[in-house]
This record gives sequence, C-alpha cells and structure tokens, in this order.
Amino acid sequence: MVTRRLIVCLDVKGGRVVKGVQFESLRDVGDPVELARRYEADGADEVVYLDISASFEERSTLLDLARRTAERLFIPLTIGGGIRSANDVARALRAGADKVGVNTAAVESPEILTECAVRFGSQCVVASIDAKRHGESWLVYTRGGRTPTSLDAVTWARECVRRGAGELLVTSIDRDGARTGYDLELTATIANAVDVPVVASGGAGSPSDVCDALVRGRADAALVAGILHEGVTTVQHIKTEMAHNGIPVRAA
Amino acid sequence: MKVTIFDYGAGNIHSLAKALAAFEATVEVETDPTRAIETDVLVLPGVGAFGLAAERLAAGRLAMQAALRDGLPCLGICLGMQLLFDVSDESTPNARGLEIFSGTVTRLRAQRVPQIGWNAIDAADDELFVRAPLSYAYYANSYVCRPVDDAVVRAWSTHEDDRFAAVVRAGRTVGVQFHPEKSSGPGLRFLHAFLDDVTS
Repeated sequence: MVTRRLIVCLDVKGGRVVKGVQFESLRDVGDPVELARRYEADGADEVVYLDISASFEERSTLLDLARRTAERLFIPLTIGGGIRSANDVARALRAGADKVGVNTAAVESPEILTECAVRFGSQCVVASIDAKRHGESWLVYTRGGRTPTSLDAVTWARECVRRGAGELLVTSIDRDGARTGYDLELTATIANAVDVPVVASGGAGSPSDVCDALVRGRADAALVAGILHEGVTTVQHIKTEMAHNGIPVRAA
Repeated sequence: MKVTIFDYGAGNIHSLAKALAAFEATVEVETDPTRAIETDVLVLPGVGAFGLAAERLAAGRLAMQAALRDGLPCLGICLGMQLLFDVSDESTPNARGLEIFSGTVTRLRAQRVPQIGWNAIDAADDELFVRAPLSYAYYANSYVCRPVDDAVVRAWSTHEDDRFAAVVRAGRTVGVQFHPEKSSGPGLRFLHAFLDDVTS
C-alpha cells in the first residue's frame, strides 16, 4: 500500500530560503540544501522548492540550486514557480528536479501539460492549482494567487489530468498562511473528481490539521511549510500523529 | 570500479550519480549505448518514456544484450528495469527492450495512476535485502513489469489491488521498479549492496 506523504515546502528567492526558519543547529539557515537535508533526516517524504523570485536574475540561480540539492538530497524534489514552457520543465528536470510544478503557464496554454507528459512522463508533471472560494465553488487564480480567472477549480483539475498531469498540488488561497486547517471540502471535491494523487496545501496549523487533510480531505499528501520552519511542530511529531490516526506512513 | 549510467537524455540523474559515487566508484554518464557497456557496472536510470529510451538504445541494443548475457553487472531502475523486458504497452511493439527477462510492461491495474509515493516492499527474498533491508521505497510510475516466470521476482509491492514485481534478478542483472536513489538512507544502502554484491 502506498503510504500518505508529508511534503515540506521551502520558499526560495535568488537561491535562498526567504521565510524565517528556526533551526539553530544549522550553520546557514538560509541555504535550502542544508534545510532540505535536515527535513530528510527528520523523515520528510518529499521536498518542494517554490521559487518566488521576481526577476530573471534571481531566477537564474534556481537551476544551480536544483543541481546542488539533487547531489545531496535523496528523497524526491519538486520545483515550482516561474515555469513558463516545456523547455523550462526540461531544464529543471535536467538540473535535478524529480517533478516540476506548472501553474500560470498551464492556465495560459494547457497544451504544455501534454507536451511535458509525452516528453518526460506524467509522473513528473505536477499541475499546481491555486483556488479561492467563490460562493459554492472555487475559482482558479494565477500569478501567485493575484490574478483571478474564470476557471472553476474542479473542472480545471479534471482538465489538467486529461491533458497529462500526473499529480495535482491544490492550494487554498483562503487558508494559505492562516493556520486554521486545510480547505477539506476543496481537497476532497478535487480528490473525488480525479484519478491522480492530490496534494493538499494551505492552512496547516497543527499535526491534526494534516491528519484531517489526509482523511476527511482525501488527499494523498499534505504540504507543510510555516509551522515546521517556525518550530511550531516537527516532521516526526506530525508523522507520529498520522500513524496514531491509522494513516499509513513511512517510518523514518 | 567504473560505473556507467546510460543516459537516454531525459530527467534527473544527479542524485543517482552522487549516490553511486559515494561507494568509491568512478561514475561516468554515457549517451552512446555501445560505449556504455565498456564498463564494470552498467546502470539504466529511471526517467523518461519507454519508446524514446528504446530509440536511444536501438543502435547498441544487441551489443548491450550480449554484454549482460555474458555477465556484465547491470542495475535497471524504474524505466531502466522495464527496458530489461521485451516490449511495453507504453509504446509500439517495434520498440524493443533488452529481452533479459521474458515478459511485457503494462499499465498498473489501479484507479490511481501514476503511483507516486512510498510503497511497502514485501516478500523480499534476495541476498541484497540481507545486506540492506528495505521496508519502503519511493515509486513514481504508471507502468510495471509482468515477467512470464515469477521465479525471477525477488520482491513485490502492491498498488491498490495490483501486486507487481518490485525487484527482478537474473544473475548479475537486477531490475528495481522503485527509485533507490530517492528512497533516502535505506535506498542508498540498497544501491551499495548491489554494487558490493555484483562486483565481489
């Protein structure tokens, strides 16, 4: 049986971690490689780098970072943020990413998902969907959650899978950073609508929130960032809580 | 010891190269299938699609097949394992694998495909697992190998209701459907056990 995954997300900019990370034992808490390795040692199942660089100059360091990470990290690495084309995906994979998240570019030209699936296999194509609740449904936003589209998130999720995405990373814009729990209804509705793994993102405030996302939210994996970086909880604590709730986990 | 990764041109091979180099091996990456077999250990990495990889392999396919049958140690990872079989449903039948193991490659018989994540390794029965026990390994695949003869299977995994070969072995040729280079410490120890076993 495939276990449920706990994925740690690091926001990077210009090749450095941007959000405050509290690991006093690390020599350089701004170095994504050191942090990713620390989380691997703690039992994280995967690591995601979300590149929030604004400029080309900042972004150009990402491939070098991917290369340095792949040489020292021995769990899967996903890279997202700023991917504009299938050739960008190729470069990220070649540099050291195992999977690549595509967001705005997929909305603007959905054929990028198919092109990547054919060239690299759908298992490395992650459709990253930022969704915000509008009444009874959710709308897709692009450009880091700033620009609304007219796409219904559930319909768009199905479309991404039809076009070749092998995994969906679903972020609730409403919950992101709020620490009030994942949007379980959003996650469950999409997980029920597609046959590929769904990663829940946005809103983790505690280990029990993670368990909720995996059980009531029907997600295959949960993405966690702030509460780990700031020391609110640990990977081991969350995985212990998952196991206590009968969720299949990989023992670290 | 020289370990050569045959590079079909798609995806990340950095982690694999570093994991192998940690065993004091000289790791080379080779895109020419004929030159790739001039080595002590051949590794077929696990990224890309069967058809494209078979195309890259075609010119040196028979030479590589002969080398493996003559005892050149070889580890096939994920797609690399699938290339050790005859053909794959992922591509047309004229895309030929290395035919070291009789059987075909077919899509997982499950609702959730691809299988992405850590899956349990069960019924492990090989010297490699004595040296490097492996309870869970990382998978990212839509297709799996269906050997004609189950005797070549040295470990199994199950996705939903589909039980499939996690590890196959014929002499010094080993195929693993999972990614040892992405399976953290236990995965790296498994890689090293393989190198140790086939070169000692």
